[in-house]
Amino acid sequence: MKTLVLVLGRLAWFVPTIIGLLAIVFFISHVIPADPAAFVAGENATPETIAAIREKLGLDKPLHIQFWHYLVSIAQGDMGRSIYTGRPVAEDLLSRLPATLELAIAAIIVASLIGIPLGVVSALRRNTWLDHGLRVVTIAGLAIASFWFAILLQLFFSMRLGVTPLHGRVEGWGPEPITGFYTIDAIIWQDPEILLDALRHMILPVTTLALPATATIVRFTRAGVLNALQSNYVLYETAMGYPRRLVVWKYVLRNALIGTVTQIGLIFGLLLAGAVVVEAVFDWPGLGLFAVNSILSSDYNAVMGFTLIAGAMFIVVNLLVDILQGMIDPRETR
Amino acid sequence: MREESGRATAGLRRRDVLRAGAAGAAIGTAGLPGLAQAQAQAQAQGRGRIAFANGSAFDTMDPHATFDVGRVAYRLNLYDGLMRWLDNPPKIEPWLAESYTVSEDGKRYVFKLRQGVKFHDGSDLTADDVVYSMERILSIGKPVTALFTPLMDRGSTKALDRYTVEFNLKSASAIFIATLHDLYVVNSALVKRNERNGDWGQEWLSRNDAGSGSYVLQRFDPARGFLARRYNQHFLGPAGLEEIDFRYVAEVNSRVLGLIRGDFQGTDPYMPQDQIARLQADPNMNVMEAESTRLFYATFHHQRPPFTDLNFRKAVSHCFDYDGWINNILGGSVVRNTQVIPNPMWGAPKDVAGYTYDIDKAKWYLQRVQVPLREITVAGMIGYEQSMQAAALLQNGLARAGVQSKLLNEPFPVVSNKFRDPAQMYDMLFLWRSTYYADPHNWAGEMLHSNRRGNGNNGYYSNPEVDRLLDQALATPDQARRAPLYEQVARIAAEDAAALCVHNGKWYGPFRKNVQGVRFCPIGDGQEMRWLRIT
Repeated sequence: MKTLVLVLGRLAWFVPTIIGLLAIVFFISHVIPADPAAFVAGENATPETIAAIREKLGLDKPLHIQFWHYLVSIAQGDMGRSIYTGRPVAEDLLSRLPATLELAIAAIIVASLIGIPLGVVSALRRNTWLDHGLRVVTIAGLAIASFWFAILLQLFFSMRLGVTPLHGRVEGWGPEPITGFYTIDAIIWQDPEILLDALRHMILPVTTLALPATATIVRFTRAGVLNALQSNYVLYETAMGYPRRLVVWKYVLRNALIGTVTQIGLIFGLLLAGAVVVEAVFDWPGLGLFAVNSILSSDYNAVMGFTLIAGAMFIVVNLLVDILQGMIDPRETR
Repeated sequence: MREESGRATAGLRRRDVLRAGAAGAAIGTAGLPGLAQAQAQAQAQGRGRIAFANGSAFDTMDPHATFDVGRVAYRLNLYDGLMRWLDNPPKIEPWLAESYTVSEDGKRYVFKLRQGVKFHDGSDLTADDVVYSMERILSIGKPVTALFTPLMDRGSTKALDRYTVEFNLKSASAIFIATLHDLYVVNSALVKRNERNGDWGQEWLSRNDAGSGSYVLQRFDPARGFLARRYNQHFLGPAGLEEIDFRYVAEVNSRVLGLIRGDFQGTDPYMPQDQIARLQADPNMNVMEAESTRLFYATFHHQRPPFTDLNFRKAVSHCFDYDGWINNILGGSVVRNTQVIPNPMWGAPKDVAGYTYDIDKAKWYLQRVQVPLREITVAGMIGYEQSMQAAALLQNGLARAGVQSKLLNEPFPVVSNKFRDPAQMYDMLFLWRSTYYADPHNWAGEMLHSNRRGNGNNGYYSNPEVDRLLDQALATPDQARRAPLYEQVARIAAEDAAALCVHNGKWYGPFRKNVQGVRFCPIGDGQEMRWLRIT
């Protein structure tokens, strides 16, 4: 019941949050002195042609009217059309979203699976060589530029050793999309070859994306575990003769994970943003490059569509995090 | 009426076959000696496939929606036009056209189309398709629209019979034929069936194929690129390769590594010189090199002091280190171009010495400037390294001459917006003028005529004598008589310091060594795949 109240409360805030987000992005993007109509019409277009395009796109109307029209369209489920391709923006976004989500979800899973145990071990071996070593690795993981790291991985694993693919999601064109997640589509098509190929292609981009995420999770888990280890209930359980392993992995970790889980929700948003670099280097056909190209060409509907999708995903992920926290510690839902 | 190219068909076919070897240009129906054999050879050998990494995204498959060289591949390979630019120096050849006539006043063009040309769905390509394609271009307001709207009005193109089409120009224009390369003919019946709300089928055509070109679209993903398979019924016969796979690879480094590794067999030439050198050093690469026609220059804002003063423009022209730029920064990969028309183009004068990097001369001219000096803005374009680097280099020279300046780098949509408004246009901007059609008017006419101010003439230059010469050149059909007019225009513009002309680009075509038959043309950038074969 408490969880349901939490979900409904968050959903009630969903609409105003999204409208606020769209308003900010809409007005900021229109402040930039770029004229998509002129861009669409080309370098040699006459002023009459540009004016006609501007009118057709509704760009000749006052900003607040344009924004209102946009909100009405969104309420009707229409994200508008790309100024350049004439296609529905939703179509362009949905064709790219699975690629980015597949990458981000894989990265967050890898980061969590590696980061949480390492964080626990680091806390339990506090101030040992292992702890110091992990500190160096995690700080490096946060400090290294993704762009540089990605190219380094390509040069070593793909070019020198030749053990991983250099770029792309699969060799060739991949399976006929059903969900757009190649791993899932390969399973649906019962094609283990493509499944393996898709997994191989994920190794380097996921590693690049997961490195800073792992580092963050290690640091937060370590801090959480250390904090929990100093609690009275741990002292009591230890005094009662509970096995060390049970105390750590059942009671300490459960309390320590609250901060980590919150952080994972935030990291997911950063992964979506960080995917731009990874997608560019690894030729990964996702949302990041689409967003960058849309921004550079002032394709307003596409930029707004990306904002809407990214904002919605961020809100949903953080809602899931809140629910998860409630499951870990019921006091969190009070 | 005068007959312009009555023998075009045989001439083109014979020449094409020679150039393409056995791979690509055989004609099935011509009945010329040896062609059937060539076609058989092409089919036997042409089972290859090329994966080509492209730095520009193929976000649409509509042949009339884009006009840039970066995305020319789908237009060239999936569609045919009435005429086509081939080779370097570029020559315009009849393609879907068999012949054409021009009226005495130069305003009426009548084209005879090849018969038996089939679209990819098997239907005949007829004059109605040409009319529809031109009407579509004039109606949808895309960059290519600007090429034809000065020449003709909607409704002026007519189908005289099934294979004869008539164009009626507003006034005589010597460049009309040169622009017809960009009239890609779409299957009108197919597109009309997919029109929605009078959109000329834009939404549908952005993802689908309605062409007659050498390749048929198989798959398209705007995020990835397109895959096309050979069209065996093409009017020139089957192309050399069975399949072409154009992939959007945003990062230069990824394109280069992929090429070295063999994931790609070719990539576009838009990359820094160090990457070109890296590919040239690889024994598996064949980096082709050709002088192109892409002028790199900087605009002067002729309506804003102190650029209204000729002495100031000359002073600034002497502040750019041309040799340092060409030899050191670009490693000799480009060629100095002292005036507005690229050196290899006819109509480019050979006797314009141009400006040199000479700070003393710059100071001498500065002392003679009659208007107050001020800090000037030198702009570059974000994402275009050379543009930003050149702006910085000029700033250094300006500082040495005592001219205050500030740099401003902005993305192209912002820049293109400022083109239109003289109040917003930068004092100076470094940019390129590419080859949209291989005619000196593409540079001199578009960059200098006062009727192009704000749309091509981005420095708002105006000189009545230049306008007169350009108008005269445009109304003169004979190239031999036009050439001296453009030479004169270029000389006047150089003396007038109309723009800071820097260099003409070279084309570097990076392909793996087993790719043969590449035919570079500045308009298509060597991306017409029908001539290629993999050995």
